[in-house]
Amino acid sequence: MGEWVQFWIVAVLLLSGVLCFVLEVIGVFRFGYVLNRMHASGIGDSMGFFLVILALMIASGWNFTTLKLLLLILFMWLTSPTSTHFLSMVEINTNPYLSRHVRRRDET
Amino acid sequence: MKELLRSWIEGETDPLEDLLDTSTREDQDREARKKISQEKIHRLEKDPKVQESVERVRKRFRKIYLAVAIISCISLSCVLLYTISLLPRYGAENPRATEVVSRYVEKGIEETGAVNIVSGMILDYRAFDTLGESHVLFTALICVMILLRIDRKNQRTGYEDYYTIRSDTYYDLSKDAILPLIGRILLPCILLYGIYILLNGQNSPGGGFSGGAVIGAGMILFSAAFGMKTADRFLTLKLCNMITFVSLAFYAFAKGYVFFMGANGLESHIPKGTPGAILSGGMILPLDIAVGLVVSVTMFGFYSLFRRGSIGMDVDYESFSSKRRKRPGGKKKS
Repeated sequence: MGEWVQFWIVAVLLLSGVLCFVLEVIGVFRFGYVLNRMHASGIGDSMGFFLVILALMIASGWNFTTLKLLLLILFMWLTSPTSTHFLSMVEINTNPYLSRHVRRRDET
Repeated sequence: MKELLRSWIEGETDPLEDLLDTSTREDQDREARKKISQEKIHRLEKDPKVQESVERVRKRFRKIYLAVAIISCISLSCVLLYTISLLPRYGAENPRATEVVSRYVEKGIEETGAVNIVSGMILDYRAFDTLGESHVLFTALICVMILLRIDRKNQRTGYEDYYTIRSDTYYDLSKDAILPLIGRILLPCILLYGIYILLNGQNSPGGGFSGGAVIGAGMILFSAAFGMKTADRFLTLKLCNMITFVSLAFYAFAKGYVFFMGANGLESHIPKGTPGAILSGGMILPLDIAVGLVVSVTMFGFYSLFRRGSIGMDVDYESFSSKRRKRPGGKKKS
């Protein structure tokens, strides 16, 4: 009984994680502008990654591997938004045609 | 279209110039300098004597170029074909290739004292190869330094200096709210992990190159998060050169000693230790440290040279601050 519950939780989490990755890939290839693409890739990098690793943590049971996977989530959630932040900063600071894609809040 | 392609191949025009280079268009200094040099070229082009000599040199160069190209192509293909003819047939027994590998697998732990056979291979059996690789990194750093470094003897134009330093201060990430915080959290972990990989190279996957790369990435993060000036306080050019030189010299001397005294199981007075302990593997641990230091310094040096043209503080930032003008054509960073 317990094994079945574990199996179904792992399966649901893994499938929803993979769904997030599918959405990410579709968004990265279908969107035209770099900030939109970054927004799409953020879905997979934060939520999809979290769901997949959570599923693996449940599947591995309670041991040292769980801690390692937890650290993986921690590092990924720290580093990935930081790099995204700087990529978007570079785009906003250097693109001369920014107003074609982005409307500032005070201009509306 | 064909005309444009031809002129691009000849190097006369660059169709991507306006697309890629956004900062130069508004710069008056550079435009004026370009105009002067173009006028000079026009004057020279109208001179029939110059034209004649240029045409002669061009013709001779074309002939030599063609001859050298044909000769090098033919000789290279001959060498490759000869090498292929020496290879064993596909699928045939090849004792020469398996003999060395089985020796490494069977006697590696006993002969080198390292549990990680890869480490034992690259730092014991084939240590001169690794010495060459470290020197390749060193040479690459020297080449980048020759091309990109600014100092008092090797001054670039004032325009280039000004723009290097301006962009360095403009894209200064240490004033950002996020990166210093993240750096403060992540840096100890990254550096500790790099040192772990470096010191544990003989027992687990890792070793000098990967550990050095991790430490170098950590130093890059440090200099990006806390500003180049903070990094300059401990990592000067002199220290970088000292680290590289001492590591490479130590590597060469230590490995030379081992090869002359203790190769093929002769007594070398270097204890092998018990395999699996941290102090084991004979010379592998110190050699790993030497390689890791060279790799990390090279990575940081590349970053620093590409970013602002120097390692450490040999550009005088203060003397340029008086020259600082308004950023041409740009809005203030918001």
